[in-house]
Amino acid sequence: MGPYILKRVLWAIPALWGLATAVFLLSRLLPGTFGTEQILQREGAYFSKGSETDRKAAYREYVARTGQDLPLFYLSVNPKSQASAITPHLTSSDNAQEQLEKLSWRYGSPAHAQAYIARVEALEKSFETSADELFRAKLALLRTNDHIAPLQQTVKEIIAIAPQPQVRAAAAKVLTALQNLKQQQQPLAFLLPQWTWHGTNNQYHQWLLRALQGNLGESYSSSRSVTAILLEAIGNTWWLLLCSMLVTLVIALEGSVMMAQKRGNLLRKFLLPLLFLLDSIPPFVLALLLLVLLANPDFLQLFPVYGMGYYMPQKLSLWQELMQWSYYMALPALCLVLFNLPYLTSQVYNAITAAMQADYTRTARAKGLSEAAIVRSHVLRNSLLPIITILSDFLPALVTGTFIVETIFAIPGIGRLLIESVLSRDYPVLTGIVLVVAIFRIASYIVADVAYAWADPRIKQKMR
Amino acid sequence: MRRLWQQEAAFKGAALYLMLLLVLVLLLPWLPLSYAPNQLDLAHTLQAPFEGTATAAHWLGTDDLGRDVLSNILYGARTAFFISVPVMALSTLLGLVLGTSAGYFGAMGLRTSRKNLLLLVCTLLLLCYYGLYLPLQIQRLGLGVQMIFESLSVCIVLPMLLYGILKALYPYTPFLRASVAVPVDPAVLRLTEALSTIPRFVLILVLASFLPPSVLLLSLIIVLTLWTGTARLARAEMMRIKQLPYFEAAQSIGLNGRQLIWRQALPNLLGPVLVAFTFGLGGLLALESTLSFFNIGVPSTLVSWGRMIAKVRSNTSAWWLVVFPGAILSLTILALYTCNHYLSKIFQEKSTG
Repeated sequence: MGPYILKRVLWAIPALWGLATAVFLLSRLLPGTFGTEQILQREGAYFSKGSETDRKAAYREYVARTGQDLPLFYLSVNPKSQASAITPHLTSSDNAQEQLEKLSWRYGSPAHAQAYIARVEALEKSFETSADELFRAKLALLRTNDHIAPLQQTVKEIIAIAPQPQVRAAAAKVLTALQNLKQQQQPLAFLLPQWTWHGTNNQYHQWLLRALQGNLGESYSSSRSVTAILLEAIGNTWWLLLCSMLVTLVIALEGSVMMAQKRGNLLRKFLLPLLFLLDSIPPFVLALLLLVLLANPDFLQLFPVYGMGYYMPQKLSLWQELMQWSYYMALPALCLVLFNLPYLTSQVYNAITAAMQADYTRTARAKGLSEAAIVRSHVLRNSLLPIITILSDFLPALVTGTFIVETIFAIPGIGRLLIESVLSRDYPVLTGIVLVVAIFRIASYIVADVAYAWADPRIKQKMR
Repeated sequence: MRRLWQQEAAFKGAALYLMLLLVLVLLLPWLPLSYAPNQLDLAHTLQAPFEGTATAAHWLGTDDLGRDVLSNILYGARTAFFISVPVMALSTLLGLVLGTSAGYFGAMGLRTSRKNLLLLVCTLLLLCYYGLYLPLQIQRLGLGVQMIFESLSVCIVLPMLLYGILKALYPYTPFLRASVAVPVDPAVLRLTEALSTIPRFVLILVLASFLPPSVLLLSLIIVLTLWTGTARLARAEMMRIKQLPYFEAAQSIGLNGRQLIWRQALPNLLGPVLVAFTFGLGGLLALESTLSFFNIGVPSTLVSWGRMIAKVRSNTSAWWLVVFPGAILSLTILALYTCNHYLSKIFQEKSTG
């Protein structure tokens, strides 16, 4: 048994690694992170008086602090003409960076495009006092356009009308830079791919090293350690999940046993359609219906609406704390039980009715055992195997229910954390949650295997 | 089917309800509704149902922005069906193709020359780079249509060139002529396992968080994660059919692979797949409304049941916001499950004799 479990655990490691890698790479390959939304957006900064440049500087500082300016992976494939692939952020502002990128793509030589940008900056500085209206429009064109012909035209105009000699000299240098760019152009260079090896100084390597040491990074939105956030959330979810699972299991087993017996006929006629009906109500509608009915001053104020309890100045005894907790958790737990009951009951009921028709049940009946004894000691024991399979598959359904319940009843658990981090694109937390869910899944399979061995000694023989 | 229609009242009711809803959804733009679904009636916010005056007849009440519940329910049904039916159809098709080929070919059944395999892999890589990555980057930088066109033409010309070279080399290189087995079955199985490592709902949420909110992208995500169920079913059915005497007879008279799959196996596969389709459609309706309830992956202008129900979270006394859309949603799912129940009964009877 021991070596078997060890083997399963060792097999789980590459699966977890692959999953985490996939989530990490996907989350960073696609544009739009927490930072871009919070810092760069005008609406986000409604109350701050910061200008566009301040916001961009703050964003750059944030990107450097969280290590997002490093290359993503060991190896990258980029068009040969892409300037940022070689050295990111060589220019002073984002507009210049964008123009540099466009010129390099269009004319295929980043070095000459960069020389042009530097010359234009020198030209701007050569107007010792600020340039007047006429020149400002021309300079703006020089800073944004990405075709050589209009750029050349504009520079020639500047040379023709500029009064100061130093401006004319600077403009002439811009013109030569443009000439160089035109002579050295390779218009189709963007079609050639170029491989770049970044070595170990990349985001993925550093993230993986830290993750192996048990550090999953920091949340983008709260800057707290992801491990701490996850532990707190799991602590809140765990008891709710366990309690509702136990209650569901007991009800499903007892209900199925009662329905399977002869006197359960009436119960069966009543309960099975009810469960069928319950199954077709989506979890969030059911939770909201219960909330509106049972935790609402307009109808019945039986339960508190949101949260996990209130803060008390004095220390409560364990019993009082438990009472308060169960008062607040009653409605969420009821929702979870109701979500999962239909599926579990129908599966358990099928397993039990199958066992009721088996030969050993007929034998037990023939030797004169009471119906209750048959069900308890023969049928239930033999239908344990399918029930274990159902339970281990049942965990994901339970998890899905938890997301909905926790979000609706504002319980700070793992499901609410997931929804929040999805809405705010908090990828470190998201990666952590995916890992936790996968670990739970794998753990539940291993526990199911152990349970198989316990339920059926024949399987124990095979596991050696 | 006709016997079912005549004998089972529940099936008749469910099917009638679904058909009625479908007709309503299709005819909706021509119906005389007094309010558009996104029209704000700020004079009558949070109006309770059946209390409307003659001038503001909101039969089923309004939400906190004065949007009419009735027209939101009707247009929400339209959205739900327009998303769910194509998504389910596409994912069933994908699952059917992958599952059937996995079951038919197995691990060793599909053999091809190294030349074809090499060509396929290279073409896929080129397609990803020149057909997808470069155009997207050009689009992002705003560099114009001409460069996209150049990239796409490279994407077409290079595989053709490669094909020509490989074809010229083919007679002289034994390496290219050697035939290798494509492990279809293990590949499909591994992919299914990989997709089911974490619960589907979590997977969809995580993937949706990587992309901008858009109905099309969300549908794509759902199609790409939902096909595994159909694929597993189709694979199992195909493997069962392969063992049946009639299929072996068809093989022995020398029918080719295409005829075997299309003419012999598929008609027998379709029953179970149809059952899975109706069941999956119910689940998909619930999924779509849950996602729009959380406002994940869909733009907030999308009219849907979930968006309407979400409004009740800020005003728990506005019961009509959850009761009416919730009832229609549950009824629709119930009708689908009922049809599914009776359909699966028929096919079970058929397959057992």
